[in-house]
Amino acid sequence: MGVLLALVLAWLVVYPLLLVLVEGVRGGDGWTLEYVRAFLGRATEWRALWASIWISLATVALSALIGVPLAFLLARYDLPGARILGTLVALPAVLPPLVGVLAFLFLYGETGFVSLLVQRVLGLTDPPWRLQGAGAILLVHAYSMYVYFYLFTRAGLATLDASLVEAAASLGAGPRRMLWRVTLPLLRPALTGAALLTFMTSLASFSAPYIFGGGFRVMTTQIVATRLNGETELAMVETVSLTLVALLALALLRGSRADDSLAGGRKGAAPAAVPIRRPWLRVGLAAAGWGLAVVLLLPHLTLVLVSFVPLGTWTIEPIPPAYTLQNYVTLVRDPVRARPLLNSLWLATVATGAAVTVAVAAGILSVRRRVPAGRAIELLLALPWAVPGTVFAIALATAFSVHAPWAGRVILVGTLWILPLAYLVRDLPLTSRPILAGFRALDPALDEAASSLGAGRWRALRRVTLPLLRPALMAGASLAFVTAFGDFVTSIMLYTYDTRPVSLEILGSLRQSDVGVAAAYGVVLMVISAAVFAVGAERGTGG
Amino acid sequence: MSARRWRLAAAAAAAVVSTACGSCAGDGRIPVVIYSPHGRDQLTLLEHAFEAGRPDVDVRWLDMGSQEVLDRLRFERVNPQADVWFGGPTTIFDRGLRDSILAPYRPAWARRVDPRGVGPDDAYFPVYRTPAIIAFNSRLVPRSKAPHDWDDVLAPRWRDKVLIRDPVASGTMRAIWGLMILRGMRTPGDTAPGMRWLRRLDGQTRSYTLNPAILDQRLARGEGLVTLWDLPDILISRAKGMPFDYVFPRSGTVVIDDAIALVRGAPHPDAARAFIDYVGSAEAQLLAARKVYRLPARKGLSPDSVPDWVAEVERDMVVARVDWATLARETTGWMSYWDRHVRGSGATER
Amino acid sequence: MSAYLEVEGLTRRFDRTVAVDRVSFGIERGGMLALLGPSGSGKTTTLRLLAGFEQPDDGLVRVEGEDVTRADPVARRFGMVFQHYALFPHLDVGENVAFGLESRRVRGTELARRVSRALGAVDLAGYERRRVGQLSGGQQQRVALARALAPEPRVLLLDEPLSNLDPALRERTRREIRDIIRRVGITTVLVTHEQDDAFDLGDRVAVLRGGRLEQIGTPDELYSAPAGAFVAGFVGRASSIPVQLLGLANRGTRVRIEGAEWEIDAEPSSNGHPLGERLLMARPESLRLTPPGPGAVPGTVTARRFTGPAALFQVRTEAGATLEVLGQPTAAAVGERVGIMPSRRAGGGIYLFASDDR
Repeated sequence: MGVLLALVLAWLVVYPLLLVLVEGVRGGDGWTLEYVRAFLGRATEWRALWASIWISLATVALSALIGVPLAFLLARYDLPGARILGTLVALPAVLPPLVGVLAFLFLYGETGFVSLLVQRVLGLTDPPWRLQGAGAILLVHAYSMYVYFYLFTRAGLATLDASLVEAAASLGAGPRRMLWRVTLPLLRPALTGAALLTFMTSLASFSAPYIFGGGFRVMTTQIVATRLNGETELAMVETVSLTLVALLALALLRGSRADDSLAGGRKGAAPAAVPIRRPWLRVGLAAAGWGLAVVLLLPHLTLVLVSFVPLGTWTIEPIPPAYTLQNYVTLVRDPVRARPLLNSLWLATVATGAAVTVAVAAGILSVRRRVPAGRAIELLLALPWAVPGTVFAIALATAFSVHAPWAGRVILVGTLWILPLAYLVRDLPLTSRPILAGFRALDPALDEAASSLGAGRWRALRRVTLPLLRPALMAGASLAFVTAFGDFVTSIMLYTYDTRPVSLEILGSLRQSDVGVAAAYGVVLMVISAAVFAVGAERGTGG
Repeated sequence: MSARRWRLAAAAAAAVVSTACGSCAGDGRIPVVIYSPHGRDQLTLLEHAFEAGRPDVDVRWLDMGSQEVLDRLRFERVNPQADVWFGGPTTIFDRGLRDSILAPYRPAWARRVDPRGVGPDDAYFPVYRTPAIIAFNSRLVPRSKAPHDWDDVLAPRWRDKVLIRDPVASGTMRAIWGLMILRGMRTPGDTAPGMRWLRRLDGQTRSYTLNPAILDQRLARGEGLVTLWDLPDILISRAKGMPFDYVFPRSGTVVIDDAIALVRGAPHPDAARAFIDYVGSAEAQLLAARKVYRLPARKGLSPDSVPDWVAEVERDMVVARVDWATLARETTGWMSYWDRHVRGSGATER
Repeated sequence: MSAYLEVEGLTRRFDRTVAVDRVSFGIERGGMLALLGPSGSGKTTTLRLLAGFEQPDDGLVRVEGEDVTRADPVARRFGMVFQHYALFPHLDVGENVAFGLESRRVRGTELARRVSRALGAVDLAGYERRRVGQLSGGQQQRVALARALAPEPRVLLLDEPLSNLDPALRERTRREIRDIIRRVGITTVLVTHEQDDAFDLGDRVAVLRGGRLEQIGTPDELYSAPAGAFVAGFVGRASSIPVQLLGLANRGTRVRIEGAEWEIDAEPSSNGHPLGERLLMARPESLRLTPPGPGAVPGTVTARRFTGPAALFQVRTEAGATLEVLGQPTAAAVGERVGIMPSRRAGGGIYLFASDDR
């Protein structure tokens, strides 16, 4: 069983990547290193790769700088409205692709609200900044990815055993020493997990560098440029180089056991919130917190605003001159335009269901039964994390566009199934992480108790294991669903007429300069994603 | 209690999947799948017009960039999903031809178009002509002050005021770049003067936008004042209320043949051929010209039937002589060189 | 005369170590066997082999003559109470107890009736809708017992049933468990590392060490006739000291012990050599303190501990052995030099074992 699952996963996850590797060293007639040499010899390629790496590292640093203190502030201190704030600051996680980035243009672009405001206030003749290049990419990245640090740190703080902190305090550790010697080391698994996730997401990020990069290239945009220029084989080599960087990061950080942090089952009560006594500090911190929340919500609000703007009416005015519901009406009334929403719903549902099933199977085999293939299974499940979506899309398209059943290749490109399959692969790390951690935290005696009470495998799974895993299942499933629901980078290569997803409809509307409709789609996407997250969180923790 | 909740969730999921898939089946009409960069407005227009005459056919289009069309058709070579490739410069159709993803088809209107734009062995045929133009924000730049030729754009006045659609990703921009290099050539293969010109343009460029929508947005909001782009897109945006105007460069512009082709292994070739025949028909050509500002490739349309703007264009447009064979052969190398060595280097030169 | 539950040559290896090594025993219907041993002795593994959670590498398990060695735990119909109870936290008390009955297709009013009967049997009648987390440790223990007993299993297995309870509760719970099990009359195997638990609950006790069954018998047999130095030391108190076997005496055995010569009432343990090195093990009550003198082993009192009417003296001999001796609380003071002699009362308490036995 274990070997079978490992083989299926290897076929889905590793095999397509190997085929990409092969494409990179195979020319029209036989094997060649020509493209590898071309890659190695070009300064632009190295520059793009280096840009990808440093942007990702800087993103990790910035995100940590925002997310970790925010988590401490909201989790450890008794601020007015901390609960609502805690939810609000997680909202960047549901900002949809493409239009989310577009919202930044409306805000911080040269004629964006914020830019114009700053320009007026300071009495400048030129816009105060240009939303372009590395700085702009970092801004968007830090904004959308600090959420990982925030959520992971909060989860880590919640499972932190208060007795450890108390023990340190009784040993005379001051607040600073406590932070550096006790709290942060205990949070290390959570922080490594967040760092890894942020690094990978940033490395794979496409929309932000695509729209704000200008002349500044990272590897993902470089791959697209190379492909657009028709140099397919070189693009394959670039793809491989990006994957290697990601794998290297995964190998480096996995050494420190990034597992088990998010849904970790450590016992002990979390430390109680610390009341802030000095009133000016309390008010100040609360104001800062709410101020930050407003800043973080600006893109969402912008998107909502834009979704009410009729086509072509908003040009050089600082604020839209007219408003309409037409964009939403269009989206609902025209069946052709409503379809993508339904498509995305069922695609994401199928992919999420499959990803949860695979993760549960992996948990049973690897954690419960400790099959020899367990390690391989867990590694394979974590791997898609390290592979940018663009890369996976290319790999899947390459692997499944050839009919060679003896080589494990069937034609899936152009069928209904390629897209759910791609989403499934992308979702695997998202579901398997919390679910495997959930399995680890589960007392194996419960399962044995069920079987000694005469419950067969299925009944034990249905009545005992799955209900107990519910928080992990819900966390994994909601994350997987939202990811698949809004996916853009993978979909763009693999969708068909019958599986047009929302993100592509957004892109299509943008291509028509139909920003209002695109924003309306974005708002719908955002609302559904937020609802799914909320249900996931509520069902996951509630009774 | 919790078991019932699970069952409820499962039922909801099943319902979503089945309702969505219930409509996958179609309605018995012959589906014709079209891959096209022409965009929703034009595709919807032609879809409805064609279906009115052929109620047995269901036109389904997927809107994507012309490079994406090529990529997709390549991946789908063994399992073709598309019937028609509609739109994109002939140069990119040539790449498709090399990848054997096109099937020859000689449409009913084949003799009505310029044979120069026809692919080898009838692989593809031109349906529209897309002239490159210089566009500007008409609210902030009076027509008299706008640049009137390519070289005007290099004037100090426009420094940091030029917006450029990312040229690597755009057929129109590639053709303009090709024209700039070709017209600078004194001896064959001498790209240096053209690259020098492009480097100076880079110095004038405020930013490269990777997306026409953002180009529109930024030009409309005055973040840049001038751009080099194609005529139909500017006319459409203007019709939608964007404050745009354009000029034809005096020294001559490049006119891209925008083609259509039958996909090799098309699942529904007969309906596909019918659609191709329709797109080049006088009726469809005029419809596209009137509604979505497509310049017909078809010749001999009666002068009183064409919209005024077409007549205007035919009057004002100066077409440069372009060696298309060289362009088709060399563009990839030129663009690659430009991307690596010229992009972003202009600012240091000035 | 085959027993109700029979275990024959049960063996389980993990990698290189043998966790359970050819263990055999039998239990009559309704009998209670306690598996006693220090941690790592293989007692829990033996229990898990009985439950079917582990597969033996060798050996047989039979119930009512039926071979269940390879049977799935689901099919075995053995009830088990886990060390940490393993109550399902997402189900309430009633649902926990009903779980096993539902597996046996008990439904409807019959189910409710049997759940309430099972809870009544453990004095928790009316607790059906309580959440597991709201119960005390002792109550959880009894719910676990009720849950295991409800489907009327053939054999009840208890894994360290009392280890999670504080000492005050422990004795009472032990009594309750014993009463419940006696009332039900179920064949029971329990695992414990506490001698008191084993002696109190098991009508027979099996002492395990390093995966081997050292001795099996009633608590009396284990105490009065330990089969080896390990059992003697593990069951009850006993101190050991090396001696020279000199020969047989008219009522026992003659040994030299640090210069003194004793005649003791013990078998000479002749395995191997007829004479020579032996290990003497003595229970505290079988020794007495005397003033230093001939025939007594000289030593210094290092500690004295009251046990009520008597005191337990720790005496360090000159050769460095430590002997525990029971005596009058006033018999000696710490630091005092004393002599040690075998108690005058006849009847065991001193054993000789081969010197390499420990």
